[in-house]
Amino acid sequence: MNQTCEEPESLQSEAPRIVSEDLNTLYTAHSRAIFYLALRFLGDPQKAEDATHDVFLKALRKLDQFRGEASARTWLYRIAINHCRNLQQTWHERHMFPSSDSPVWEQSAGGDSPLRILETKELGARIQKTLDGLPPEYRLLLLLVSDQELSYEQVGALTDQSSDAVRGKLHRARKAFAALFAKSE
Amino acid sequence: MKQTTKLSTGQQQEHSAETRTVKTTAQEFKNVEELLRHDAAQTPVPSEIARRLNQSAAETPVPRRPWWRRILG
Repeated sequence: MNQTCEEPESLQSEAPRIVSEDLNTLYTAHSRAIFYLALRFLGDPQKAEDATHDVFLKALRKLDQFRGEASARTWLYRIAINHCRNLQQTWHERHMFPSSDSPVWEQSAGGDSPLRILETKELGARIQKTLDGLPPEYRLLLLLVSDQELSYEQVGALTDQSSDAVRGKLHRARKAFAALFAKSE
Repeated sequence: MKQTTKLSTGQQQEHSAETRTVKTTAQEFKNVEELLRHDAAQTPVPSEIARRLNQSAAETPVPRRPWWRRILG
C-alpha cells in the first residue's frame, strides 16, 4: 500500500522481549491497513481505534497459534473482520450513519495546509458516507480488494467465497459505489 | 477553487458504465480501489493506539513459542 503519511509509531520494548518484537513488527507493518479497515467498516474513528487495539492484542494472545500458513496480513484481517462484525452485531449499528472523521484528522494536522486538510476530510467523509450506503458485503469486499497486498484468492478466503465470486461481486460493488459516490456530491 | 475528481471504476470496456465524474478534490482516480488506497494512505493511525497497546501488552500473559519455533525461528 502506498503510504504518504508518517509510518505508525513502533511499540516500545516494555512487553516481554521476544513477543514484543513480534508485536512491534506486526504493528509497524500492518496497523495502517487494520485501522483503515476498522475505520471504514465501522464508520467511527473512536471505535476503529478501540478495534485496532483489540485486534493486535488478540493477535498477541494468539501468536503461538499463528503457523505462517497464511500471511500475517490475512491472519490479522481475519481477526479484524470477525472483531468488527461482532461489534456491529453487539451495537446494533448496521444502519447508523457514521460520526465525523474529525478526531482522526485533528491529530494529523501536522504540516498540511488548512485547504489540504479540508479536502482530505471532505473526501474521507464522502467515502465513508458512500461505503455506509453499500451492503456490508460490498463494503468489505472493496476495502479488502483495495489492499494491493491481497490477491483475489486471499480476499475470497477471508470472505468465504471463491475468487470467481469475488470478481463477480466486485463488479457490482464498484458500480454501486460509483453511483452512490456521485450522488454524495 | 473547485476542482474535479474523476472516478472511473474500470479500465476494461465492461467497466465503462461505472465511470463517474465528481467534483470535490484535485485528484483523479482510475477506479474505486485507487480512491480507497489514496484515502487509506491519507488516513493516519492514531498514536494513542500504540501507547495503549504497549500498556496492554505489558499486562497480558504471553503464550510461549513452541520449542521447535524457538529453535528453527
